[in-house]
Amino acid sequence: MATSRSSTELLEQIEKLSGQTVSDCYQCGCCTSGCPIGEAMDPPPSKAVRLLQLGEAPELLDSDGIWMCASCLVCGTRCPRAVDYARIAEACRVLVLRSKQSRVDPDTVTGPELEEIPQQAFIAAFRKSSV
Amino acid sequence: MPNDECRLTGTQPPADAQSTIDNRQSKIPRVGVFVCHCGINIAGVVKIPELLERVGTMSGVVVTKDYKYCCSDPGQQMIRDSIKSDKLDRVIVACCSPTLHETTFRNACGEAGLNPYLCEIANIREQCAWVTADKDEATTKACGIVRTTLTKVVHDQPLEALTVPINKRALVVGAGIAGIQAALDIANAGYEVVLVEKEPSIGGHMAQLSETFPTLDCSQCILTPRTVETGRHPKIRLMTYSEIDSVSGYVGNFKVKVRQKARYVDFKTCTGCGACLEKCPGRTESWFERGLVRGKAIYRLLPQAVPNRPVIDAKACIYLTKGKCGVCAKVCPTGAIRYDDTDKFVEEEVGAIVLATGYELFDATKLGSYGVGRVPDVIDGLAFERLLSASGPTSGDVKRPSDGKVPKKIVFVQCAGSRDSTTGMPYCSKICCMYTAKQAILYRHRVHDGQATICYIDVRTPGKGFEEFYKRATDDGIQYLRGKVSKIFREGDKVMVWASDTLAGRKVELEADMVVLATAVVANPDGVALARKLKTQIDAHGFMTEAHPKLRPVETLTAGFFLAGCGQGPKDIPETVAQASAAAAKVLAMFGNTRLTHSPTTAEVDEEICVGCGYCERTCAYDAVKVDPARKKAAVNAALCEGCGACAVACPSGAMTHKNFTKKAIFEMADQF
Amino acid sequence: MTKYTYYPGCTLYTKARNLDICARKAAEKVGFELVEMPSWNCCGAIYNAASDDLAAQVGPVRNLAKASQLGDKLVTLCAACHNVLKRVQNRLDQPGNEVESERLKTFVDEKYERPVKVLHYLEVLKQEIGWDNIKEKVTKPLGGLKVASYYGCLIVRPKEVLEFDDPENPQVMDDLMRVLGAAPTRFDFKAECCGGYLVVNRRDVAKSASKKILDNAKAWGAEAIVTTCPLCQYNLDKLRAVTDGSIPVFYFTQLLGLAVGLAQDELGLEHNAGDPVGFLKSKGLL
Repeated sequence: MATSRSSTELLEQIEKLSGQTVSDCYQCGCCTSGCPIGEAMDPPPSKAVRLLQLGEAPELLDSDGIWMCASCLVCGTRCPRAVDYARIAEACRVLVLRSKQSRVDPDTVTGPELEEIPQQAFIAAFRKSSV
Repeated sequence: MPNDECRLTGTQPPADAQSTIDNRQSKIPRVGVFVCHCGINIAGVVKIPELLERVGTMSGVVVTKDYKYCCSDPGQQMIRDSIKSDKLDRVIVACCSPTLHETTFRNACGEAGLNPYLCEIANIREQCAWVTADKDEATTKACGIVRTTLTKVVHDQPLEALTVPINKRALVVGAGIAGIQAALDIANAGYEVVLVEKEPSIGGHMAQLSETFPTLDCSQCILTPRTVETGRHPKIRLMTYSEIDSVSGYVGNFKVKVRQKARYVDFKTCTGCGACLEKCPGRTESWFERGLVRGKAIYRLLPQAVPNRPVIDAKACIYLTKGKCGVCAKVCPTGAIRYDDTDKFVEEEVGAIVLATGYELFDATKLGSYGVGRVPDVIDGLAFERLLSASGPTSGDVKRPSDGKVPKKIVFVQCAGSRDSTTGMPYCSKICCMYTAKQAILYRHRVHDGQATICYIDVRTPGKGFEEFYKRATDDGIQYLRGKVSKIFREGDKVMVWASDTLAGRKVELEADMVVLATAVVANPDGVALARKLKTQIDAHGFMTEAHPKLRPVETLTAGFFLAGCGQGPKDIPETVAQASAAAAKVLAMFGNTRLTHSPTTAEVDEEICVGCGYCERTCAYDAVKVDPARKKAAVNAALCEGCGACAVACPSGAMTHKNFTKKAIFEMADQF
Repeated sequence: MTKYTYYPGCTLYTKARNLDICARKAAEKVGFELVEMPSWNCCGAIYNAASDDLAAQVGPVRNLAKASQLGDKLVTLCAACHNVLKRVQNRLDQPGNEVESERLKTFVDEKYERPVKVLHYLEVLKQEIGWDNIKEKVTKPLGGLKVASYYGCLIVRPKEVLEFDDPENPQVMDDLMRVLGAAPTRFDFKAECCGGYLVVNRRDVAKSASKKILDNAKAWGAEAIVTTCPLCQYNLDKLRAVTDGSIPVFYFTQLLGLAVGLAQDELGLEHNAGDPVGFLKSKGLL
C-alpha cells in the first residue's frame, strides 16, 4: 500500500492534485485506444479511471501502469469528456513519491547505452519516479 | 398586410370603455387573492395560513382564499363564484408560473364577466417554493411576490384580444422526407403549399440511402412514391434550386422572398432526356455522391429526380467559366440551355411556415486523428450508403475508393464526433447505432466472406424492432468491440485502427481494408443561417428550438413557424415523418380558424410625446415598430409586436409604453422590495 | 539583424550539439541572431503537472524572470525546454491565476519584469521571419527529398497552452521543409509519443513506440525524418540503430542549415547515427 489513507481521501487528493473529476469519464476507452504504449500499460488509462470511479484508488496506486505514462497527453487531447489522464497518473505518482517510495532507483539504472541517452531523459525519469 | 385589416380593438378602446376604466381607477379596487397549494409543491414550503393572513391586510384586498389545486374545476369555480359574490374587479392567483396556467385563470375570470387582463399570476412556485428551503423565508417571499403583483393589478386596464386574418397557404422550407411529408399532408387537406428546396431535386438525404433500418426496405422504393406525388400535386408549388431570401410579416400573413438560383436550363423546354448529361466534359465535386466520384458540370442528382431536369453548376461549367465548350447546348434536342440565365426572385404570401431544413454530417476532416482526407479508404456513413446503393457510383458493389478493391475487412467507427464535449457535439446523434448495424449487415450481404467489426461506446436501440435488429447483426457474425477509436492510419494498403476492448480492459489494434465513420449529425448549416435570419431560436448546436420540449414539440416561440425533421434534432425516418405530420396538423389547426387572436399586451406610442428618434425601431427584434419619417412619429404594428417591452425601455422620452406594464406600475412594483 | 534572447538548455550543449549549432548559424543566414541568455539554469526537463507542486516550477520561473529583464521574447529550440518554459509562463501570465503567479515570483530573486512570450525557433521562422524571406535565402534546395516531419508530443500538447499548431496534424515543419525544397510526405504519426524518458528504464517500450513511428513514415514513402526534440531524435535515431538500420533522422535545423548553405562540417552530422553523410551524398545534397 502506497499510503495509509482511506480510498475516499485518496480519491479526493487525486482529484485535487490533478484538477480532474473522475466522474466526468464515461468509460468510452478512447484513452486506452490511443495510448502509444497502451499495450504495456497495466492498467490502461480507462481501466485506471474505472478503478478510481469504483473507489479502488489504493489498487491503482500500487499498480505498474501509473509509472508507464510518459505524459505525452494524447489521451487528454482526444478525450471526448476532456479528462486528462496524464494528470491523474501524475497525481498518483506524486502521492506515492510523497510517501517516500521511489519507483526507479537511480543506482539501479545501468547499461552501456546510458552514455548515449540525452541527459534530459534522466532528469525527467528521476523527477517523475524517484524521491 | 395593411394594418387596418386587424381589428385592433385593444389599441383604441371605444369611448364608453374609456369612461368605465376611469371609474374603475377612481374607486377603490376590490381584489381577490387565491392561493394555490399545488399539492405540497407550494404548501409544503410556504405557510399558507400565514400568507393568507398577511395578504388579507393589504390595501385593496377584499377576499383571500386557498385551495389544494386552483387549476382544477372546483378551484376555478371558487374563483368564478368569488368574483360574483365578492364583487371583485381584480384577481390575483398565487400559484405556478404564468406560462402554465395564466390562460386557465384568465379564461375563468372571463367566464365570470371580468376582463381576463385584470387577472394576474403571482408565481410563488418556481420563483419561491421551489427555490427556497426555509419556510419562514419562503412565506415572506411569497408575501412580497403577492404584494408586488397587487401593485401591478390595480394599474391594469381591461384589454381586448386583437385578431388578424389568416392567409391559408403554407411555406415548407426543405424537401427532404420531412418537408415532403409536411407538404403532402397540408396539400392533401386542400391548402396550397409552396415547397422550397435548395438542391435541384427533392428527397434530401433519404434519396442517398441504400436500405433503411430495421426492415431493410429500399430507401428509393419507399421514397419515390412520395417525391412523384409531390411533383405532381396540384396544390404544391415546387421551387427547387431555390433558397429563402427574406421573410417579413407575422403569423397568418408572411411575405416570403425566394431566390431561384440560375439553372441555365429552361425547365419548360427541357424534356429531361439526359443527352446533355452524357456529353458534358466539365467536372466537379459531387455533393450527392459524397466525393466518391467526380460529378459533371450539368447534372441531376439521381435518375428518379423530381423534377427530372438538370441544372448547370456555373463554377464547373467550361462555357460559363472560359467561354468555350457549349456541348450541352449543341446536343440538347429542344434548345433548353440558357447560358444567360440569372438568379430570379419570387414573392409568395403565406400564413404558416414549416422549417424542415434537415441535417448534414459533421466534417470528418476535423477529426484529425481519424485520417479523413489523408487516408483515402476512411469514409463517412453517407458515402458508404452511396457505395451500397444500387443507384450509386459502384451500382451497389462495395469497392473501396483508393483502388476499387472489394474490402474484406471493414471497421465501423461509431460516435465519430458525437457525444464529445470537445468537438462541440456533446449530444448523441441517435441514428448511428442503427445505421451502422444496417451497413454492416448490408456489407455482409454484398461480400459474403467479409468481416465487419463495429467499435462502439454504447449500443442504443430504443425503437420498434431496433433491439431485434441489433441481435440480427450479432447473429450474422458482426463483431462488436466496446471502445472508442482513437486513431486511424495507413500502413501499406491497409488501414489500421487503434481501438480498445474496454470489457476486456485492453488496447486493440485492428487491421482493415476500409473504415466507415458514423460521423455526428449536425444541423444543416444553411438551416442554421436561415434560423438566424428568421430570428427563430436555435440551441447551442444550431438545432432549432421547439416551444416546449414535451408539450409543444413542433411549434417554435415565433408564432407561425413550425418544425419538422433533423433541423430540430437528430432523428430517424419514422420519427421524422411523424414529426412532419404533426407540424402539418398544427398548420391545419391554424388554418381551421378564420382569424387568429393575438395578445393585446403590446407596445403603444403616445404621439404627443414621441419625437421620432427611432431608438424603438432599432431595438425591436420583431420589426414591429416603424418611425414614419414624414411625421416623425413611431407606430407599432400590434400584430407583429410580441410584447417584449424592449422599445419601452429604449424610449428616452417615455412616449413608448407597454400595455399593462406602464412605467408607473413597474416603478411602484420595484418600490415594494 | 533582429536579436532574440535564446535559451539552449542542457542537452543542446552536449548530446544535441547538432541541433544547436546549425540553428545559430542558419539563423544568421536567414536574418536573425540568437543571443544566448547569460547564466541560464536547467528548465527541469519535464513539466510537473501536480497542482500544488510549485517548488518544481522554480527553475523555469527563474529563467523566465531573467529573460523578462532582457526583452519580451524568449526563443527555445529543444522541444522539452519549450514545453516546460511555455507552460510555466502560462501559469505566470494567465489571467485569473494571479495569486499563484505572485507566489511563484517570490521564489526567485530575479524580478519578473513583464510577460515573456516563449517562442519556439520554428515559430520565429514562421511568424517573425516568414516563409517567403527564408525561401530567398535557400541556396541549396533539398531536391524534393521525401521527408516525414516528426513533431512529437512536447511542442504541440497541451494545445490550449502551447498554441503551436493542430495537435493531430501539425504543419509548421512540413511548411518549412517545402520552403527548403524538400517534399514533405503525409504521415500519420507526426505527434505520437516516441516513449520519451521511458528509455531510461524501459527501453523495450521506447523501442516499440519508436518503431511504430518509423514504420509509418516508411509506409508513406519517407526517405528521412526531421525532428526538433533531442529525446525523440535519440529514440528514433540511435535507439532505432539497435532495432533496424533504415532511414536517417535529422534535426530540422540540420536540413535548414544545409539548404541555406552551411558547410558540411557545420552541420554536426557526426552526432547522427548511421551514415548521414553517405545518405545526403546519395541524394546529391552534399
